[in-house]
Amino acid sequence: AEVEETLKRIQAHKGVIATIVINAEGIPVRTTLDNSTTVQYAGLLHQLTMKARSTVRDIDPQNELTFLRIRSKKHEIMVAPDKEYLLIVIQNPGE
Amino acid sequence: LQVLDEEGKDVTPHPLFCSDPNTIVPRQGKLLASSSYFGATGPAFLSSFSMPQTSGANASLGSFSGTCLLTSYNFSDVQVRQEEIKEELTKEDLDRRVDLYLTETETIWILDMPSVVVSVEAEDAGRVLERNRIYVEICKNRPGNDRFVEKMMQTVNGATKTKEVQCDKIVMEDKGVMVTSWDLYDSFNELEIEPTSKAEGSRATTGKSSKSHTTKEHDQAVSVSSDRGNTTSTMVLENAVLAKIHEEEKCHSEAVLTSENFQQGLFFMERILMENIFQPKLAAYRQFPVLTDPNVTSATSGMVAAVKEAKQEEHGKEKKDKEEQKEAFIDPSIPSDLDKTPEDIVPPRLEQLWSYTCDLTNGHSVSSMAWSKVNADLLAVGYGAFDFKEQKKGLACCWSLKNPMWPERVFRCEHGVTALDFSTASPNLLAVGTYDGSIAIYNVGSCIDAPLLDSSESSNKHTGPVWQLRWLEQDRGATGAGKTERLICISADGRITEWLIQKRLDCTDLMKIKRTESEKKKLPGEKERKSEALISRQAAGMCFDFHPKDTDLYLVGTEEGHIHQCSCSRSEQFLETYSGHKGPVYKVAWNPFSTDTFLSCSADWTIMLWHRDSQTPILTFSSATTFVHDIMWSPKSAFVFAAVNESRVEIWDLSVSTLSPAISCFASPPVKFTAVRFAKNTDCLLVGDSKGEVGVFLLQNLAAPGSAKV
Repeated sequence: AEVEETLKRIQAHKGVIATIVINAEGIPVRTTLDNSTTVQYAGLLHQLTMKARSTVRDIDPQNELTFLRIRSKKHEIMVAPDKEYLLIVIQNPGE
Repeated sequence: LQVLDEEGKDVTPHPLFCSDPNTIVPRQGKLLASSSYFGATGPAFLSSFSMPQTSGANASLGSFSGTCLLTSYNFSDVQVRQEEIKEELTKEDLDRRVDLYLTETETIWILDMPSVVVSVEAEDAGRVLERNRIYVEICKNRPGNDRFVEKMMQTVNGATKTKEVQCDKIVMEDKGVMVTSWDLYDSFNELEIEPTSKAEGSRATTGKSSKSHTTKEHDQAVSVSSDRGNTTSTMVLENAVLAKIHEEEKCHSEAVLTSENFQQGLFFMERILMENIFQPKLAAYRQFPVLTDPNVTSATSGMVAAVKEAKQEEHGKEKKDKEEQKEAFIDPSIPSDLDKTPEDIVPPRLEQLWSYTCDLTNGHSVSSMAWSKVNADLLAVGYGAFDFKEQKKGLACCWSLKNPMWPERVFRCEHGVTALDFSTASPNLLAVGTYDGSIAIYNVGSCIDAPLLDSSESSNKHTGPVWQLRWLEQDRGATGAGKTERLICISADGRITEWLIQKRLDCTDLMKIKRTESEKKKLPGEKERKSEALISRQAAGMCFDFHPKDTDLYLVGTEEGHIHQCSCSRSEQFLETYSGHKGPVYKVAWNPFSTDTFLSCSADWTIMLWHRDSQTPILTFSSATTFVHDIMWSPKSAFVFAAVNESRVEIWDLSVSTLSPAISCFASPPVKFTAVRFAKNTDCLLVGDSKGEVGVFLLQNLAAPGSAKV
């Protein structure tokens, strides 16, 4: 319902290349890319997120990773991690 | 299945650890074993009996490997073997927390070879020495002595027989866990809370287990690995993501989409996306220097350095900087004075940053806007048409600076919204007045689309559209309770009412606006009844404004064109009447700095500046041939105000000129501007129009503010 609407709005934003939602097991639930690319992104970003979360919590176990942003020359990859899911949005902000 | 030995004792090998200590211990001596040794004794049994019941034993041995992973031993006494109960393996057992105790066992003597060396200082050293001497002599005497004879003997060698035993392959598994400080922290936290199977699952995912290749193929190992499903899937992600998906996981994946956390995650993501898209505009709004992406900038190298320098000093678009720099090249000394440079060269102007609009609001005309008193980034916009003919369902939306493309809250109303205001005392309350005269109070903290309180049941409610409402903080000196807040509204039925917030919304009249017949007759009211057929004795009120310093005093603008000055303490009469406008007065506003002057705008195409002591206006501004819908004084300067009429938005600067506006910005027809507001904490102007857009404009290069009185 509202979740669907918000997802659609995010996908329609300027510069957004792809949106991927992955569940806790690493299976993509929603994606706007083709399957092989999605799987690739899912696997790689999952590992990176685990590592980032491990790093943050190693420094202070009471802390937690809330958001991860990777800015590269061509895009920006934004990951919203959680225990149950992983929300990935790839945007090209320079339009 | 029973196995008996020669003495008839029942030495049936028990399938597991239930072993009869009485029979086992004497046969094996004092040696007791770990499970692996026990496994070895199995075949030892078999070899001594001629009845190979290998199948039974095999089964018992086979199950060793499966269960040895789970049970815990506690060797406390070497003599007595612990009674180990066979545990029924269930799936839960595998997920259960297992405590492994590591203790030191008793020392097990496997080989005891007493030394044959004795120290010289030992007690029986003498005896030993003596014996040694005797032995040496015997050896010396041996060769030719009669007492020593060589003789040969033959022993019977038993026939050897090879015996083969098969046992199931012992499954070996390597398990490694990387201990991180958060892992320790988590585990300790969970000890305090009830350990649940979820904790087990999460711990399993953090451990890495490298299974030996052979075990993977083994049947048993498969069952083990499926129990540790979590670990497998995360580690083998690259290879086997598309591999078998259990049915349970399918349900889980759909659940993700509906979870609360997901919704929140989406919310944050949207905001961050917005920030990315709108970053330059938002920075300009906040008067930060605008950062540009180095990849996107297309400035020539000559200009780049100069542009960068200028950027640090000014806010605004790059283009403008470049313009400046062109001038600067002619005049090499660039004055670094912020105030001087822009105004000398570039005239003040409005620049559109962005506009709050979305599909939902398209088509609705903006009727009013209000800033939140507490959060300067929150704006409430009411949508509704002014004309009687264009009425449709109204909308009140709360927009946040962080998301210019979708409102944070949407409240739908039955009728067009004509006025709204945020409360100061309880900043989450938003009062909305509508075209049918009813007032609703919404709580913007919640997403529910229904009003907290509604005035439709009130008997005293307005019968005409509510044109303006305001929350007012007033000193209640009499009651001594300090500042209390009241909700005041004015409507087309000619009453100014004060609403009480109780269980039901109810109101009391502050003032009824009586009609004033004409300028000649100073008496208010009904004298000329014969010649004019009055429909009502009251004049429709369009707007009001309370004096910024004296909250007892207020101005009322009416539909007839008169402005009345009234006081809260006298509700029968007006203190003063100012007549000058020839059409309905849409807005009155006291000057926030020089508080004896006020401004009024009306449908007669003019804006008038008045002083409270004079009956005629001081100044009249007219610049267009359309209704002037809204005016507002600038919060920063006593000379600047904004006015919006249907075709333009204008900024007037009285210190510069009283004949024409300082900035004038045209609207593209058929869109008409309907409302204007200054932003509180920054130099921006918000303009609402009839298409449903609220445009945010940056004021550039306006004269330095002064708060001098007129």
